[in-house]
Amino acid sequence: MTVTSTTSPHGASAPVRPKKPAPSPLLIGGLVLAAIFTWWAAREIEFTLGDLFTNFANGWVVIQQFLEPNWSFIWRVWDAWVETISISIVATCVGVLAGLVFAFMASRVTNRSGWLYRATKIFLSIVRSLPDIAYVLIFVALVGVGALAGILALIIFNIGIAAKLTAETIDAVEAGPIEAADAAGASTVGRSRWAVMPQILPNYLSYCLYIFELNIRSSVVIGIAGGGGIGQVLGVQFARFQYENVAAITVALFVVVLLIDQLSQFLRRRVV
Amino acid sequence: MIELKNVTVRYPNGVVGLDGVDLEIPDGQFVVVVGLSGAGKSTLIRTINGLVPVTSGTLTVDGMDVSGASKRELRAIRSKIGMIFQSFNLVKRTSVMNNVIMGQLHHIPGWRALLGAWTKEQKEKGYQALERVGIVEKTWTRASELSGGQQQRVAIARALAQDPSVMLADEPVASLDPPTAQMVMKDLQRINRELGITTLVNLHFLDLARAYGDRVIGMRDGKVVFDGTGAEADDAVFEKIYGRSLTADDTLSSNA
Amino acid sequence: MTSPATASARSTTPRPPEPSKTKETLVWIGLLVLFGGAVVLSNARWSEISGIFTDGWRYLQLMAEGLFQNPFSEPYSEYWTLAFDRMLESVYMAWVGTLLGAVLSIPMGFLAARNVSGPVTVQVTRIVLNAIRAVPELVFAIILMLPIFGFGPVAGAIALGVGAIGTLGKLTAEALEGIDPGPVEAAKASGAGRFSILRWAYWSQVLPEVIAFWLYRFEINIRASAVLGVIGAGGIGSLLGQLFSRREWEQIGITLVVIIVVTILVDSISGGIRHHIISGSGQKVTTEEKVEATL
Repeated sequence: MTVTSTTSPHGASAPVRPKKPAPSPLLIGGLVLAAIFTWWAAREIEFTLGDLFTNFANGWVVIQQFLEPNWSFIWRVWDAWVETISISIVATCVGVLAGLVFAFMASRVTNRSGWLYRATKIFLSIVRSLPDIAYVLIFVALVGVGALAGILALIIFNIGIAAKLTAETIDAVEAGPIEAADAAGASTVGRSRWAVMPQILPNYLSYCLYIFELNIRSSVVIGIAGGGGIGQVLGVQFARFQYENVAAITVALFVVVLLIDQLSQFLRRRVV
Repeated sequence: MIELKNVTVRYPNGVVGLDGVDLEIPDGQFVVVVGLSGAGKSTLIRTINGLVPVTSGTLTVDGMDVSGASKRELRAIRSKIGMIFQSFNLVKRTSVMNNVIMGQLHHIPGWRALLGAWTKEQKEKGYQALERVGIVEKTWTRASELSGGQQQRVAIARALAQDPSVMLADEPVASLDPPTAQMVMKDLQRINRELGITTLVNLHFLDLARAYGDRVIGMRDGKVVFDGTGAEADDAVFEKIYGRSLTADDTLSSNA
Repeated sequence: MTSPATASARSTTPRPPEPSKTKETLVWIGLLVLFGGAVVLSNARWSEISGIFTDGWRYLQLMAEGLFQNPFSEPYSEYWTLAFDRMLESVYMAWVGTLLGAVLSIPMGFLAARNVSGPVTVQVTRIVLNAIRAVPELVFAIILMLPIFGFGPVAGAIALGVGAIGTLGKLTAEALEGIDPGPVEAAKASGAGRFSILRWAYWSQVLPEVIAFWLYRFEINIRASAVLGVIGAGGIGSLLGQLFSRREWEQIGITLVVIIVVTILVDSISGGIRHHIISGSGQKVTTEEKVEATL
C-alpha cells in the first residue's frame, strides 16, 4: 500500500473556499455617482488651479500690501468693534431665548400636539435653509443699512441653530422625570421647565456660547452686506482697495475670535 | 375608592395589558399586586392614573371617571394620585426641594413654575413631606448626590407633597438593596397608616408582599387570578400566580 | 391628609437653611446689564424696527405676486431658471470646495491625532487647524483668492476648501483618537508596515464617521457659498446681492423659494446618505460634533 500525501487536494473533505464577495452595487453606484457629480461640478464652475501659478505675480502685489498691515487703523475704528460685539450679544440673547421656545415646540418629548410639532419642524427647516446673508439683505431692505439690520438678521439665524441643536438634546433626555411630572398632573409648561430644562441646561448653555462665537465670526458677512459693525468697515476698505487696512482688521478679527473662543471654553468648563 | 369594571387595556401594538379586570379597592387599604413581569401589574397601576388609556370598561377613582376624562380632567385626577417609580425618576440636576415641589406643579400658576418662584406655603409643604420620610436634612442637596434609598424617599416625599388620596408604587424597591428595601416599604406602610392614603404597590418579592399587604392581588396574563389577604397567600398560591415553582429570586430575604 | 399639626414624630432633625440666591441673582443682573449695554452700544436705530411692519407687508405681497405668476410665461420663466442655475452653481462650488478641504484634511487629521503622531507634531498641527478655524471663509476669499483667481466660483470653492480643513482635520483627529486600539495592536503584532497600519487599522475604522462629517460640512458649505457670492464669487449669493440692490421683489421671492427648496432637498439627500453610512457602523454624528463641524 502506498502512502499518499495527507493533504490531498482532491480529498472530498477539502472545503470549498468562499468567493470574495462583490462590493455592494449600492456602494459602487454611489461612488460612481459622486465621481461624476464631482467632475460635472468642477467643469461647471471651470475649476482650475492653473491661475495659482499664472496669476501669482499679479496677486503678489496685492499680497505684499496685505503683508504690511496698517496697525493704527485697528484703533481708529474702535466704535465699529464695540458695535460688532454689541450686535453679537443682543442677537445671541434674543436668538437663544426664542430658540429655546421653538426647541420645546420642535421635540415630541415636550410638544404633545402633533400638528404644532410638525408645523414647527417645517418652519425651522425653512428658517435654516436660508443663509445668513439672505436675512441681512432682507432686513437691510426693511429697516435700512445699520446695526439694526444686522441684529435682526442674526436673531433669525440664531433661532434656527439654537432650536435645532436644543431640540436634538431634548429628544435624548431621560424619560423618567417626565413620566413623574405627568403622573403628578403637571402642565406642559411646568413639565418642560422642571422635568426637561434641568436636564438640558448644561448643553443649552454651551450652545449659547457657541452661537455667540458664531455671531462674532459672522460679523464680517453681516457688515459687508450692510448690517453694521466691523464687517461694514472691512467692506468699505476693501472696495477702496485699502488692503493694508483690510489686513490689519483681518488680523485683529482673528485675535478677537481666538480670545472669545478661549473665554467661551473657560465658561463652558464652568457650566458643564 | 378605586373601582374597575371590566377594564381592558390593549396597547397600540396589539398586546393586551389588562383583560376584563374587575376590582374594588376601598379607601385606606394597602394593596400589593404580584405577578411575573408582563403579567399586567405595571399596566394596572398606570391605568389607574391614566398614564395608560383604557380601551374598554370603566375606571373611577374617588368617583372621578378616569376612562372618559379629558386631558384637563385627567391632570386634575392625577394631581390627587401620587406615584412612585422603580428608577425613582428624580430630576438629578436640581435640588431635592425643587423635586418635591414638582409634586405640586398642578396647583402652581405657570409664571411661578417658569421662574421657580415658590411661595412659603409650597416650600412648607415640601419641608413637611421631607420630614415625614425623614430626609429633611438633604432639602437643598442636589438629587444626584443622594444614594438610591435616599432618592426613593425623596420620590415618596414628592408624591406626598401632592396631598394624594391614592398612592401608586411601581416596583418601588426593585433597584434597592434588601435593608433599604425594607425601610422604604416601612415608610410606605407608615404613611398609609398615618394618613389613610390608599396604597397600591407592585412587588415581585413574595415575602414583602405577605408582610406588608393588607390585601394581595395576583395577576397573570392581564387577569386577576388571586385576590385575598396576605395570610392567605401561601406558597401554593404564588406558584399558581407565577405558573411555576418558586425560586430563591422570588424572596427578598434570600437575596440578602 | 397632611396638616401641620400632625407632622410626623420623626421631625426632630432641624430644617437646613435655604441656600442664598445672591450669586444667582448677581449673574442675572450681570447678564441684564450686559444686554442693556449692548442694546445701547450697538448704535442700532431701534425706531426703524417699524419698517418691518410697514414695508414688510408690502414686500411680502410683491414677492407673493411673483410666485403666483404663471412660471412658464415671460419673464417669470427666466427668473425661475436663472435662480435655479445660480443655486446649482452654489451647490457645485460647495461640493468642490468641501471635497478639496476633505482631501487636504486627511493628512492633517493623522498629524493631529495623539495616538498616531508625536506630541510636537500634534501640537503644531492643532495650532494650525485652530488658526484656520478662527478665520471666516469670507476672509480667505478676500485676502487669498480674489487677487489671484479673480472674482468667480473657483475662488469661492478654494476659500470653502481651505476653511473646511480646520474643522474636518480636527474632527478626523478626534475620530482617530477614539478608535478601538485592538486592530492596531493586531496589525503591529503581525509586523505590518506603518502605512498599512494607518490605512487598515486606523483609516478603515473612522471612514464612515469621517465621510459623515464631510457630508455635514457640505450641507453647511452650501449656505456659506451664498455668502461668498455677495462679494463676487458667483452663484446664488451674487444674484441675491444684485436683486436686493435693485429691489426686484418679485424676482427675490422666486429666488428665495428656489434657495429654500434646493437646500432642503440637498440636505435631506445628504442627511439620508449620512444616516445610511453611519447606521451600518454603529457610530453617530453627535450634536456636539455638529456644533464643531459648523465652526
